[in-house]
Amino acid sequence: MKLPAAFRNSKGMIGAVLVLAILLVAVIAPMLIPDDWATRMDMRARLSPPTWAHPLGTDQLGRDLMYRVLLGAHTSVFIASSAVLMSIVIGLPLGLISGYVGRMTDNVLMRLVDTLLSFPALLLALTISAVLGPNLQNTIIAIGIAFTPYLARIIRGEALRVSHMPYVEAARTAGNSDRRLIVRHILPNIMPAVIVQSTISLAFAILAEAGLSFLGLGTQPPDASWGLMIQASRDYLDRAPWTALVPGAAVALTVLGLNMFGDALRDALDPRSKGAS
Amino acid sequence: MSYILNRILSMLLTLFLISAVTFAVTNILPGDVAMIIMGTQSNPEALAGLRESLGLNDPLLAQYGRWIGGMLSGDWGTSLVFKEPIAPLLLQKMTASALIVLLSMTIALVCAVPLGVWAAVYPNRWQDTASSSASLLGVSLPDFFWGIMMILLFARGLGWLPSSGFVDPGEDVLGAFRHALLPSLALGLGLMAHLTRMTRATMTGILNQEFIRVARAKGLGERTVIWRYALANAVGPVMTVAGLQVGYLFGSIIVVESLFNYTGMGWLTYQGLLNRDIPLIQATVFVVAAVVMLANLLVDLLYVVVDPRIRLS
Repeated sequence: MKLPAAFRNSKGMIGAVLVLAILLVAVIAPMLIPDDWATRMDMRARLSPPTWAHPLGTDQLGRDLMYRVLLGAHTSVFIASSAVLMSIVIGLPLGLISGYVGRMTDNVLMRLVDTLLSFPALLLALTISAVLGPNLQNTIIAIGIAFTPYLARIIRGEALRVSHMPYVEAARTAGNSDRRLIVRHILPNIMPAVIVQSTISLAFAILAEAGLSFLGLGTQPPDASWGLMIQASRDYLDRAPWTALVPGAAVALTVLGLNMFGDALRDALDPRSKGAS
Repeated sequence: MSYILNRILSMLLTLFLISAVTFAVTNILPGDVAMIIMGTQSNPEALAGLRESLGLNDPLLAQYGRWIGGMLSGDWGTSLVFKEPIAPLLLQKMTASALIVLLSMTIALVCAVPLGVWAAVYPNRWQDTASSSASLLGVSLPDFFWGIMMILLFARGLGWLPSSGFVDPGEDVLGAFRHALLPSLALGLGLMAHLTRMTRATMTGILNQEFIRVARAKGLGERTVIWRYALANAVGPVMTVAGLQVGYLFGSIIVVESLFNYTGMGWLTYQGLLNRDIPLIQATVFVVAAVVMLANLLVDLLYVVVDPRIRLS
């Protein structure tokens, strides 16, 4: 595996550190910080700027922004990674079958994927969430479905490329079954592309979750979510700009980390795209 | 000619599939139009009566047929929230959105192409670092966050531009432009970042090719090599990406128009979604998907004009 190469340049290193730090916060924060710290209202310190008592300030209800943004990491990362996982679980077999079997199956599946690609991902996610009723689980489903066609398309392209490689032809001539060909020869060789695309999808999923929650069609209060926090800040921008800046910076750092790491991964795993970042 | 005919046939098929997906998503999933109209507290008999009169008891296929028939004949139904026929409402909002979509596309292209070229011409130097870092930051921040920053800076802080609202260009051209500028910038920044990255990647690939070395070897000025030779070859791919971004833009306008209270297509879509106005959602989703598809078709056809190497067969 050429994975370590991704850490060799500074961009990949910074990205990896950022991603690791946020993952750590997402996992550890809910264990260390009692739930009520993020919902406790300090009415005497509403919209307080950063102070010793509240290092990142407070929101309109006097809730501590540092605790909220730390716990929000859990919500955002959980939703985004579940959604991306869901799109892989659906998109991987779809793309593999389409690319490997080809012909009519490929035509039908890709026509469907192209149709889904005509719907802007955010619009599709918002519509599914609105129709199902917005909550945590449906936000995951909405983003997961919206991202599936992108993944399926890329996997199909890779599967098509790999299944015509001489070594696959050779393995087929040697009498290997289709199943063995896919599992042993094709799947391992398209994994780099899947990993790169998943990292990039994760960045988009974080943005999508923030967008959905910002519009009130994603995570619902009282859960802490970065998008929700930015939405709540809208009415207090003049007096308390930090209520928008703190969650905004959290989204930016996470997505920036994922993008930097994704770029470095792509350069390391796919030499053809060298410098394409 | 057969290429164009082929594309049109394929487009019609995709349009049909788009309509089927739109109808399926809004119908098969739970949610009852009659309940939405009358509220959850209404009496069961009245609900049943309304369901009957709306044809909600008919088989799904019949309902789909009625809906698609209406869409084709220009009768797009009536919005449950606005209590108005959807077709004229949608057309009016679309023209409002067209202004910010075109403006943001222009801002993005005008800035992204030079920035991307600049980064590609000076790889790994400060020009590249500056341009690449800025575009990386650009793709990493949500559009609504840019929007909020602009409201803080240009509307609240400096007081140069209004922070919300829409003005009809037919009534007040300058006012319309002033109201459209901030939403367009918020939309355009993310787009610009994507396009800068794409332009840089494409140009980097092209500048390493043989014909560029030949052009330099025969003594052509660097300016001619880059802007006439290299960029001419980058226009196609960059245009394709710009076309693909139309879909991204139509997703983003929902957030940005809601933030700026700019009453266009995105705002209308959001109102429909918030109030579960199923007929309005169906019409807007279908129209947006169709517009995105048409934009991509247009780009494909333009590609042929820009790049004469592509022979249609």
